[in-house]
Amino acid sequence: MAMKKDATYYDKVFEEEFLPHLDALYTFAFHLTYNEDDANDLVQETYLKAFRFIDKYVEGTNAKAWLFKILKNAFINQYRKQSKQPNRVDYEEIVSYHDEEDTTYSSYMDLREEMFQQMMGDEVTTAINTLPVDFRTVILLCDVEGFTYEEIAKIVDIPIGTVRSRLHRARNMLKEKLSEYAKKFGYQDKRIEKKDKQNH
Amino acid sequence: FRFIKSKIHSRKPSPALIKSIKEKIRIAPA
Repeated sequence: MAMKKDATYYDKVFEEEFLPHLDALYTFAFHLTYNEDDANDLVQETYLKAFRFIDKYVEGTNAKAWLFKILKNAFINQYRKQSKQPNRVDYEEIVSYHDEEDTTYSSYMDLREEMFQQMMGDEVTTAINTLPVDFRTVILLCDVEGFTYEEIAKIVDIPIGTVRSRLHRARNMLKEKLSEYAKKFGYQDKRIEKKDKQNH
Repeated sequence: FRFIKSKIHSRKPSPALIKSIKEKIRIAPA
């Protein structure tokens, strides 16, 4: 017999399955926007949208990945709004695919990263935060949140192969940016060292 | 190297955000 889903049922799902991911969503939102107010707005919008479509959510499935996908799409739409491009309707935001590259919001992010860079003293944090947003996103989702390649592919709406290549490129970019800093702490890229040995 | 994780600091939202979300979903249609 199907269980009747009333307001109490949805409140329970919201409290037990959605709200525990608040800190992770806020951390992700902050590292996308570098601004506490914008991060608050994004997280709030994510939860309101999740609640509006809570009847589409199947209890016990991957709530975290679903919430991250809503937040990522809200982030992209925020920059579409900034550039006065037409918005998507709510339901499409949740289920549809987005263009892989969006030069309008990429160039907007460059400006914000420049401002943020001036505020940060820590070279490492700066190196991470100056990664292009597409590359920073996969690092955050994989290395910080522990999502699988498949989950990241669904959240970001790109093929798994693209997830792997973006992670590879993002890590290489970081290694280049950090090579001088890392040497001070005894880190060294063994691939480079090995090549050097083979060439001598 | 995966040092990187230690540099991406997790951040806590303010209690006001949780309160605001809960207030807004009370008046939002489920």
